[in-house]
Amino acid sequence: MGRVLVQRLGSALPIMLIVSLITFGMIHMIPGDPAIAIAGISATAEQIANIRHDLGLDQPVLTQLWRWYANLLTGDLGRSLLLGQPVVHVMMQRLPVTLALSAYALVLTLTIGLVSGIVAALKQNTWIDQATMVFAMLGISLPNFYLGLLMIILFAVDLGWLPTGGYVALSKDPLGWLATSTMPAISLALLLAGLLARITRSTMLEVLRQDYIRTARAKGLPNHRVVLKHALANALIPITTVVGIIISLLISGSVVTETLFSIPGVGQLLTQAVLNRDYPMVQGGLLITTALLVLVNILVDVCYALLDPRVRYDGA
Amino acid sequence: MRRYSFMLLAGLGLAVPVAHAAPFKCPTTGGDFVFGQEANINTLDQMTSSTISTRNIAMNIYETLMTRDDNNHPILELAASMEEAPDRLTYTFKLRPNIHFHNGKPMTSADVVASFDRYSKVGNQRSTLDNVKSWDAPDASTFVIHMKVVQPTFIEALSSFSVPIVIIPSENRDVAAQQLTNPIGTGPFQLVESVPGSFVKLKRYDAYQPNTSFENRTGFGGYKVACLDTVTFRIVTEPGARVAGLKTGELHAVEDLPTKSLPDLKKDPKITILPLNNWWIQIADPNTSAPPTDNLLVRKAIQAALDMDEIMDAASDGNYRLNVGFQYPNQPSYTDAGKETYNLHNADLAKKYLTEAGYKGEPVILMTNKDYPSMYNAALVMQQQLQAVGINAQMKVVDWPTSVQLMLNTTEGWNFHFTGWGTQPALGALATMQFLVQPNATYKPKGGVDDPEVLAIWKEMNDLPTAEGRQAAFAKMQKLVLEKVYAIPFGSYTKVQGTRANVGGFAPFRIPRMSNVWLTR
Repeated sequence: MGRVLVQRLGSALPIMLIVSLITFGMIHMIPGDPAIAIAGISATAEQIANIRHDLGLDQPVLTQLWRWYANLLTGDLGRSLLLGQPVVHVMMQRLPVTLALSAYALVLTLTIGLVSGIVAALKQNTWIDQATMVFAMLGISLPNFYLGLLMIILFAVDLGWLPTGGYVALSKDPLGWLATSTMPAISLALLLAGLLARITRSTMLEVLRQDYIRTARAKGLPNHRVVLKHALANALIPITTVVGIIISLLISGSVVTETLFSIPGVGQLLTQAVLNRDYPMVQGGLLITTALLVLVNILVDVCYALLDPRVRYDGA
Repeated sequence: MRRYSFMLLAGLGLAVPVAHAAPFKCPTTGGDFVFGQEANINTLDQMTSSTISTRNIAMNIYETLMTRDDNNHPILELAASMEEAPDRLTYTFKLRPNIHFHNGKPMTSADVVASFDRYSKVGNQRSTLDNVKSWDAPDASTFVIHMKVVQPTFIEALSSFSVPIVIIPSENRDVAAQQLTNPIGTGPFQLVESVPGSFVKLKRYDAYQPNTSFENRTGFGGYKVACLDTVTFRIVTEPGARVAGLKTGELHAVEDLPTKSLPDLKKDPKITILPLNNWWIQIADPNTSAPPTDNLLVRKAIQAALDMDEIMDAASDGNYRLNVGFQYPNQPSYTDAGKETYNLHNADLAKKYLTEAGYKGEPVILMTNKDYPSMYNAALVMQQQLQAVGINAQMKVVDWPTSVQLMLNTTEGWNFHFTGWGTQPALGALATMQFLVQPNATYKPKGGVDDPEVLAIWKEMNDLPTAEGRQAAFAKMQKLVLEKVYAIPFGSYTKVQGTRANVGGFAPFRIPRMSNVWLTR
């Protein structure tokens, strides 16, 4: 296992280098520059030129690339041109927000997706199965932006149960965090829960038809033990793969939700950074996000080995 | 030496408080006022930002030597008086006593010197000080500006709120551009916390000294009192969420309400709709270097074809006023010079000009963006109107930064650039016409060489000794620009704000002013 981890971490380094180069190239290839965003809509050409000069944006791209890599080697990801703060500092402020929201959404996704998928498989071809799959399709089909707006109207405006938006840090006020994060988490979770429910159902159906399940039932094991211990345990490997993807989607896909609910997370930060051509923020932010996603994938690999004793990565 | 304390002087247009009522008193005090702001805020470093979102918040924190009143006249703010030397080469400011920064430090002329020092290095509009030779502080309460040459419009420039020279503590003199992350000013509110992308929280500055030369708030200055304990600017970029927040009462006031929501909101007795007229001039800048818009007759044909009602209706969702030229009708500098060129929607005239121009169907590229829907909609309707008279109008849709960069850096691939002029027209004729001269010249003169007629009138606008003379020059400039179609102003865009009924004292203005605003219980 240890060797696997070292190998995976070793391969992460070139991935991140390539990502950083691609990110640098792409963000600099897009026309427009941050000086225009900083200057605002009514700015004169002189104001824009002053900002370009002050921020060093009038230097050649190769000089900027050299400076970016030289600083990267010293662990310095630069300063956000728009926010005026170190990229690492800004990301460390925003990451916990996105991670907490993603964790909440993940719990909802797993609960709703796994339970409804298992129930649908066990009640195949009944109205329960059909209702669950209709619900799953709805979750997949409804854009989370639209779903979020509908929830605001229902739960905030009409019923007054939850706030329309804003954010309270989990560390400051857990109940406040729960109130401000519930609608965003549901709007994020429903799409992925629908996806997970469908995959869980089809995987469970496949496993439930296996001979060892028939054997377990023939031995007289209670149904819940057959389902949870024998069927679900074996269905979890493909589901784990999907959960890995779901975590990536939750982290990277929170853009719309964070914007709609005014949540200061990474998704909103990086979208603004791209729109405003905040080069250091895009480059550094994506590098950190990439590292996080690489880590998630390594954890998924580790989970394979833990779930399935046949998987012998370190001995192979 | 001429001394201006609070006397109204036609030559300078300095405004005076004339009322003699008792100064403003808060009907109630306390509470957290939550304002729904439409745009993210990148920085509170006011000297280095010209964005509206920064100004919205920062101008409740900072103050300046001079600013503008409700009618856009220059007024004194942190200065108690200002004297102009007879040769007009020296301006001497006496500072108001007992002013303290939010960190408790008394404000002296050394801080004013430091503020001007920093602004001259990193200020986003540092050309304001181009004609200034030096500044110094002969004593703790006196600040003197020495000019290189006489600039009749200097006080107008100094009091500008576009990128104001805000007064900061001297210890912040050497902070680099965009790096002033802990704003300390002298205003009625001080910063508590700023979470970019989420909110900015301010609290009442208890040691604030209102300007007793006034009885009430006016423009960015006047007699300001913080009635509220705290103010939270919550960033709510989604219009639907702003409407929902206003309806539930989570937000006490919001900016930029979508038109579709207005009928519903007007029925709600707990909500007051506040139109902010003349928010900006919706405009298209031609590229006079690229064919076919390098031909004046083609530009005149385009101008003749346009129906401004249709364009503004689409651009603003019906919230607009037709308006000739580059100033708003409520401004003293307003003129309708050149009105004969405006809103003609005359297809026959357009076709006549096209024939005279020898137009052969060359594409006219309308470069616009969807970041600002009003600009996109204006371009879309203009395209239809031009096609109706036989002009091969084509849309080029990019994002806003790309659009501005292409407009600034190239004269190829576009013929019209769509934008909105907001702050500059509000500041007055001089600030607005700055868009028409280098290095800003939005009409992209061939070879980067300004039209000599424009330059000659621009010189008059700057150098004529009397305000009347400069105003006459502006009228000439507007007429010339419209006749040569160096800009096509469509009309004046209205931004709609809204407040809850328990909000008192909130009045539509170019920023949401939080002083003299209170919450009733």
